[in-house]
Amino acid sequence: MRLRFFVRRLAMLIVSLLVASFVIFAAIYLAPGNPIAALSGGRSIPPESLKVLEARYHLDQPFLVQYWYWLTNALHGNLGISITLRENVSDLIASRISTTAGLVLYSSILIIAIGVGLGVAAGLRPGFLDTSTLVITAISASLPAFVAAIVLILVFAVQLQWFPSLGNGVGFFDQVKHLTLPAVALAISSLAIVARVTRAAIREESRKEHVQTAVSRGIPTTQLIWRHVLRNAAIPITTISGITVASLIAVAAVVEVVFGLAGLGAYLVQSAQSKDLAVVQGISLLLVGAFVAVNVLVDVLYAVLDPRVSLGSRAQ
Amino acid sequence: MKGKQTIHKVTAAVGVLALLVVACGGRTTGGAQGGQQLAVTTKAGTKPVDKVVWAVYRDVNSLDPIYAFDYPENTTDSLLYESLLRQAPDGSIGPGLATMTNPDQNTIVLTLKPGIKFWDGNPVTPDDVVYTLNRNTDAKLAGFYPAVFSRVQSITATGASEVTIRLKQPDYWLVGELASIPAMIIEKSFALAQGSNYGTPAGKIMGTGAYKFESFKPGVAVVMVRNDGYWDTSVKPLVREIDIKGAPNDASLTSALITGGINGSFTQSLTTLDQLKTNKAVTVTYGPGWYTDAFIVSNLKGPLGDIRVRQALSLALDRKGLVDAIYKGTATIPKWISNSGTFGYGKSVFQAAYDSSPDMNQDIAKAKQLIIDAGATGKSITIGMSSELTGISIEAAALKAAAEAIGMKATLHSVSAQNFINFFIDPKARVGIDGFFTLNYGDYAGPEALLATFLLPDGSQNFSGYGLAGTDPNAADHAKIFQMMDDARGTADPNARAQKVADVEKAIATDLPWIPVLQPLIVLITSNNLSGSYSSFAYMFSPWADKLGGT
Repeated sequence: MRLRFFVRRLAMLIVSLLVASFVIFAAIYLAPGNPIAALSGGRSIPPESLKVLEARYHLDQPFLVQYWYWLTNALHGNLGISITLRENVSDLIASRISTTAGLVLYSSILIIAIGVGLGVAAGLRPGFLDTSTLVITAISASLPAFVAAIVLILVFAVQLQWFPSLGNGVGFFDQVKHLTLPAVALAISSLAIVARVTRAAIREESRKEHVQTAVSRGIPTTQLIWRHVLRNAAIPITTISGITVASLIAVAAVVEVVFGLAGLGAYLVQSAQSKDLAVVQGISLLLVGAFVAVNVLVDVLYAVLDPRVSLGSRAQ
Repeated sequence: MKGKQTIHKVTAAVGVLALLVVACGGRTTGGAQGGQQLAVTTKAGTKPVDKVVWAVYRDVNSLDPIYAFDYPENTTDSLLYESLLRQAPDGSIGPGLATMTNPDQNTIVLTLKPGIKFWDGNPVTPDDVVYTLNRNTDAKLAGFYPAVFSRVQSITATGASEVTIRLKQPDYWLVGELASIPAMIIEKSFALAQGSNYGTPAGKIMGTGAYKFESFKPGVAVVMVRNDGYWDTSVKPLVREIDIKGAPNDASLTSALITGGINGSFTQSLTTLDQLKTNKAVTVTYGPGWYTDAFIVSNLKGPLGDIRVRQALSLALDRKGLVDAIYKGTATIPKWISNSGTFGYGKSVFQAAYDSSPDMNQDIAKAKQLIIDAGATGKSITIGMSSELTGISIEAAALKAAAEAIGMKATLHSVSAQNFINFFIDPKARVGIDGFFTLNYGDYAGPEALLATFLLPDGSQNFSGYGLAGTDPNAADHAKIFQMMDDARGTADPNARAQKVADVEKAIATDLPWIPVLQPLIVLITSNNLSGSYSSFAYMFSPWADKLGGT
């Protein structure tokens, strides 16, 4: 059963990557602009140089031929060469992957720790805490990451000067310091949504008959919360957390651009603007792969959390 | 032209801004005026500084000079490499790695100064020089500067420290290029060993500059450190490390400048300039620019083929409104197509000719009369533009307003920001377009550096076929301007050459193959405790940070 699940998921992943690669390649191909032109910052490149460069990157070939070049190379593990930087795409991606991974991880920790924590607290303790959580999360849920980023920079970087506003930093602690504002900006709206869903799930479970029965039988509160409320509320919480974390991978681009982080998302935006096809392809496929992987992880978690859920059945 | 930089300034408020420009037409302009009076450097720094982060508008793409063609690469390369001759901050050309003599009109002899060595300690040899110069014209490398060597017959090593350039015909413009990017010397053996990795993030580079390469991480920075073995012992840079970093947008750049995450930058049409001018954390300095913001006439077969229509449009354009709207007061009203900051030689000759030329001020009545005389009333022109590029769209709206104010019609043909470049490189994109805007500059301080790109039959930016039979109704007249250019190119005496170039400027200020819009200034922004950088456009070609330091 498990093997079938993973094989099926792997097949889905491969199909997703193939379809995505074609669609993205076509979209970039059709998009306006000339990748060679981006090299010169727009000044007129001598026509002879233009020809040599176009031939080098197969830009003078028809669309399908270009895609075929890319695909066969990619299958041999060669993601191609960036036109702008004249370097291997895989090396360029490798140098930026840790920033995005760090940012998404940092953000996920904030979302799950604070979001779930707040939701549980609000769900279990109706009253002031609950009401204020509801109000605050209603506001922050509607705050897009780029707005949050600007506000955070204004307050914590420009006014208070607690955190830097730009760049990656060197060394572990400096990097964490540099990633803090971006991670908060990225987490803030998702965190609110996770908190609200968690709160609702906890409320729902607390009202259920088995919980009321347990209360009436005098089971200690801690045990009651852990075994009867949280365990059953875990599925919706996992679902929303999974979706949220997976979406961070895409949204990270916005935050990376604002904070000038050398991450994959910012690089994707930049490469798409300059039509650096091989880079766009490489990063997109990595992001698609990561997205699928997170979803598989969530499915596995379902089975762990709820024995009634078997892996194969969820995949259908 | 400068398409990419403005791409970051995409804004939805463009339409509103354009309306404001038209509405604010009568306002007087604040800010600095008269580029020639501005200082070309800032006061030398006095204290050592460990590290300076310098922002450029996007990431550096290459550290190979033959691919340096835009602000980020030029800013970086001018610290790492040195050219054979050197442009001082005021644009005057003197010895660099070499001194130059002209035994005859067709021969340039370059003699390397003694003791010049690369960062690795190896001496710079004539072999390195020949190799470096020839890379520019190597078709396989597809560099961006082959055209400047068009009159070169041969480049050979003729002595232990001597290189001789033989010319097919006299070319005094090549001297300017020898003080610019195409003549930045790299080490032959090192470059050959690096192969296609040279200048990429995967590779390393070897130059002679007072700063040596440390690392090149795209998205992070190009890091360089002081070269303690620098051959010129009279130069003692105060800053130990300089990081050149791409700043993604105006907002990020501004907050980082205020908080010290970025310590300096040469900026253009920065939307947050007013905010920074009043901030105590930074110092804003203006200097002479060498660039020109202009409307390129790309079709002479339509209404713009008539000189009176070009003149009328120029007269009707509200340049004062544009100074504020696009450059926040940091640009001047032109007299010529070239910026007066470009007078690197024959200064007094250029300046006298320039001062005697009229400012291109607005005169709607005169413009209307010209249109009537030309019989162009009701005729229509199409302006190539991109509504995603703030500056460009403001200019296009202003030109449209100008045309309509004098009885013509104008249509805006908008393309995406990425496609704007196609007006420059793809003849198909120019079909049906009468002209488009550019921010353009030459490779050195001499007006001809820019003029040569559109006042020669094969000039890379002669988009209209100016002076050519079949595309230009006044080809015969305009061919005379080509002749004047050619004459200047072969004139040895700098003052006599300046006079000839000035005559060309005066002729085209009337004839308007391009309609100059504005002459932007250099806007240098640094942390308030930092000084010593160049404040002229020479930073694009010469070591601008030798005297940078704390105050």
